[in-house]
Formats: sequence, structure tokens, C-alpha cells
Amino acid sequence: MSENSANNKNPLLPQMCKVIDVHRETPDVKKFRIQSVQGQRPFATLPGQLGMLSLPGVGEAMFSVTAEGDDWLEMALKQTGLLTDALHELNPGDIVGLRGPYGNHFPIESSKGKDMLFISGGIGLAPVRSFIRYAFKHRADYGYIDILYGARSYDDLVFKEELFENWPKEPDTSLHVTVDRGSPNWQGNVGFVPPYLEECAFSPAGKLAVLCGPPIMINMCLKSLSKMGFADEQIVTTLEMRMQCGIGKCGRCNIGSKYVCLDGPVFTLAELRELPQEV
Amino acid sequence: MELKKENLEKALTALTRLGKVLVPGVVDGVKKFVPYAAGADIDLDMVNTTLPPKDVLFPQTQKMYRFTTGPDAAFEEISDAEEQILFGARPCDAQSIDCLDKVFLSGEYTDAYYADKRGKLTIVAAACAKAAPTCFCRSMGVDPGGAPNADLLLAPTAGGWNLHCQSDKGKAVLEALSGLLEDADGQALPPAQPELVVDMAPVAEKISTMFEHPIWDELHRPCIGCGTCTFVCPTCYCFEMGPEMHGAEGTEMRYWDSCMFSEYTRMAGGHNPRPSAKERLRNRYLHKLSYFVERYGQTLCVGCGRCVEKCPANLDISRAIEMIGEAKTE
Ligand code: SF4
Ligand code: SF4
Ligand code: FES
Repeated sequence: MSENSANNKNPLLPQMCKVIDVHRETPDVKKFRIQSVQGQRPFATLPGQLGMLSLPGVGEAMFSVTAEGDDWLEMALKQTGLLTDALHELNPGDIVGLRGPYGNHFPIESSKGKDMLFISGGIGLAPVRSFIRYAFKHRADYGYIDILYGARSYDDLVFKEELFENWPKEPDTSLHVTVDRGSPNWQGNVGFVPPYLEECAFSPAGKLAVLCGPPIMINMCLKSLSKMGFADEQIVTTLEMRMQCGIGKCGRCNIGSKYVCLDGPVFTLAELRELPQEV
Repeated sequence: MELKKENLEKALTALTRLGKVLVPGVVDGVKKFVPYAAGADIDLDMVNTTLPPKDVLFPQTQKMYRFTTGPDAAFEEISDAEEQILFGARPCDAQSIDCLDKVFLSGEYTDAYYADKRGKLTIVAAACAKAAPTCFCRSMGVDPGGAPNADLLLAPTAGGWNLHCQSDKGKAVLEALSGLLEDADGQALPPAQPELVVDMAPVAEKISTMFEHPIWDELHRPCIGCGTCTFVCPTCYCFEMGPEMHGAEGTEMRYWDSCMFSEYTRMAGGHNPRPSAKERLRNRYLHKLSYFVERYGQTLCVGCGRCVEKCPANLDISRAIEMIGEAKTE
């Protein structure tokens, strides 16, 4: 058993880890904090990178690492099928396998000095959260931060504690939260993400937009951003493809000559326009 | 140096001291590479085996690691590589191994299972003096008279093969064969001239711009998505991984997969970015003729003709290459 699968000679062999904390985010999303069985962080990640999480005997799937601490990583899992149903049954102390980190990462260097516009919908806040946390940790490196987030309803908003408690307290930061359907426990904006984005009328000057969410939302937001004057190079998003190996071998996740697991998941809109339209 | 045909059995027996010797043979009517056993039905004149030798390095099922579930969960790596000698692989087969090397050994990550087996493989290639009607290796840049990445090359003569040593592993083979070889070279036969010829030049020039071309609406029509083409292809390497359970213990396995199956890209939520045969055939052909070239600088088709011969719907990649070459693009 390896100490760190990133250094292991066999990149397909998972590292044995344990769940140390489980937090229910929404009716169908749970957040898992994971540590190696030796009590260490399984591996270090950069914002936007992925990890292959496995439940021995059930299967494995790729998830973005939504946060990392000194001795843990976090992943937020939405229930979408057999494997995630089984993962949702996990309790602290249970064993999982993990390998990674995989993929490229958000442009943390080239975005320095820029104002940031983080846009996400549903579970799409999971990858974006890793970049938001990184930006707050290196607050002086980034300009003004706008966070626009939407979900179906108040109950479906993930990471509520950060959305409503922690992040609004950060300097030079505005939160813009919206839900598709209103409810008695929600006083904020009601409406879909793309029109709300246009309503907010962010100026593209000196900004980088980071966009993650369901494909329909992404497509509409891309149109909105273009309409608002954002250039293709100013928009960064992530792609999803079914993955198996995570290391560019199994052939599963290609879009044209690119492998999402190796060359992605983060692409600028300018890069996406160069790829075959097959997502 | 020449190995006479009458000494072939002795030579193969001598090689078994170096490891498992795989030779072209026939099992239940299927031509494929089989472990050599004295008196076996081997056929070095056979042009192409029906099944490619890829399973020697990349088995159809590979045990990856064992695990136990529950509170005492543990993972244990499995490594099952052994010395193997691939005897009588064709130049196209040798080139296909070069393609697989690119996939599994190059780049940021090395595939440990493939690397173990590759390190323990000796390739003794046999040049071709005759070609099958479906062979178009020359058009794909493969020389039927040579195999640059083989450890030893057998070049056919009237009564056997001249031996050309191409590496240290090749030297070990020569040593094992000492006493069985003639010092002089025999009269070499000219290499095969496949009659099937396609022109890759116009394809190479424009295929990267043809993703949206109407040609894909036509080409895929006969395809029934059976996956035969990927199964018999020496360079197709897509795989899938999954556990096999026995109570609380299990083995993680890796299996050949096929991009021609509809489940291949279907995601957990049900969305499938390649919903029909059109998208799947397009991806297979573009992977072979365009994407792989962009990534590794060579095509992922070696012109062996296996898929041409075996497709139940008569899809023919050599015809497709011609049609792509002739297609109009703005
Ligand atoms: S062998 Fe022919 S019919 Fe079968 S998947 Fe391949 S192209 Fe389609
Ligand atoms: S695509 Fe067909 S002709 Fe080309 S290498 Fe594969 S099986 Fe042979
Ligand atoms: S998941 Fe295997 S190539 Fe990307």
C-alpha cells in the first residue's frame, strides 16, 4: 500500500483512506472529508484538480477536490447512481480508496491582480469553491471578488455556511445568490442564473469569469457573458466526461485529441472553441 | 545467418528456455498467437492472425489489485508479468506495439501493468513476402520488409529466414539458437507489395477540419455497433476497470472496452455525448487518423486489414480513407 499514490510507480493503485467527517449539504449532496489511513492528507492539489474516489467492491468515479486542509481533502458528492448512492452511506471511519491528483487546474497564476467573477449552479460550486478558498487564502493577489451562485431552491444550495456566514465577511467581496423556485425560508433573488448574471451587469474590464454548472446553464451563461462584453480568453470553465483511468490511457474521456482527465478539466472558452463540439 | 525451416521446431524449443514462446497458430479455427508446444500446429506462412498479439502486453482481462472490504480493508497490487517471446509477429504487429508503447509508456504517467510486461517481452518479427488482399500496411507507413522496433527480424528466404539482430534481447535469442543456424545468409525473398493501396496524404492534410463534415452521416450507416473492429484491431486499446467480488474480497480488473459500444461514454446522469453510431464511428476514425497523430505523431492504424476482413457490415477503413481523401471541403 502506497503512502502517496502520486509518487507511486503504479498510478492506478488507489491509496487507502478513511472518511473523517460527513456533512449533509442538501437532500442529495453530502460533503466528505478524507484522510489517508496514516492520518495524512492523501495528496496536495491545486484548485480545480480531480481525485478518483473508490469504494472497494462497488466502483470508482472522478470528483473535484473542493477543498484541502493540512491533513485532509474534501469532496462533495451528488447522488446520481449506484456508486454515489453507496458512497452516501459512508460514515466517519469508513475506508475508501483515492488516487490523484488528476487534471490541470484553474489559472491561479495568470489571474493574479484581476477581479474575479465566480459563477456556478448546483453542485458546480464544488470545483469553484476550491478556487474561491484559494483566492481568500491569497487575498492580496486578487482584486474584487464577485460570487454568483444559484440552485433549484434554498434547500438545494450547497456550502450554506460559507455562502451566508464566511464569504460575505471577506473584504471586497459580494455574494449574489439566486434560486429557481422561491420558498418561505428564502428572502433573496428568485430566478435562473443566466438572467440574474445579466441583471447584475458586471463589467468585463480586468475580470476573469470562472463558470461551472450543468451544461445548459453553462451554455446560456457563455452567451450572456459574451453579450456583456467578456472575451473568450476571460472565461474559464470545466468539462465533464465519463472517466475511468484518470491518466490519459483508457481513451474514455477524449474530446478531439484532448483528454479531459489530463489536459482538462479546466479550459478557457477560447480553448473550447478549438475543440470538436462534442460534449 | 539463416534459420532453415526444418530447424524451426528445434529453434522454438530452444527458445522456451528464455520464456514463454508465442507463435501464430490456430485454436478452434481462430488464427492467433498461442504458447508454443512441441508438435503444435504453427503456421509462419500465415499472412495475418485473425486476432492481434496485443493481449500479450495488454490482456483482455488483467488482474490489477486485490482488496478486502470492511473495517480491515486493504489493497494488494498484483504483478503477473513473465518473460515472453513473441515469435513471428508481422511488421504491422510490431508497429502496433509501437503505438501501444506511446499510449502506455509515454507522457506523465506510465502504466505499470503494461510496462512490466513490455520490459519482459522479446519481439521476433517476421517480414512478409506475401500480403493478404486486405493488407494496406505500406500506405500507412509500415514497411512489410522490416520492423524497426523488433529485437530480431526474420527475413524470409526460399528455405527459411535470414536473421537480423536489432537489440540486446535479440542477441540473447541468437545465443539460444546457436548450433541451429547456418553461418551464411540464404537467398532473401523480396518484401510483399500489397495490392490494396490508399492515399493518406490528402487525408492528413484536411482531416483535422472535418469533424462537422457530412461524410460522417453516410459512413456509419451499415455499422451495427458490435465492436468487432476494435476487438480485432492490434492498436485499439480502450479499457474499462471494475471489481470482481468473492464475498468480502475482490479483485480489481481491467477489461478491453470498445468505443463502438453505446455505454462507452454514457455518464452517471444518463447523458451521452456520443449518442449514435455516427458519433462513435467518427470518433474511432478520427482517433486513428487525426487525434492520435496530433498527440503522438503517427497514425493509430497500421493497415493490417483485420477490421476490413471481419466487420459483419462490411465497413472498410481503407475505403473510408479514400472517401475522406476525395471529400470536398471548403
Ligand atoms: S465491426 Fe463494423 S459493424 Fe461492428 S462496430 Fe465495427 S464498424 Fe460497426
Ligand atoms: S483500424 Fe483496422 S486496418 Fe487499421 S490497424 Fe486497426 S484493425 Fe488494422
Ligand atoms: S479517463 Fe482514461 S483517458 Fe481520461
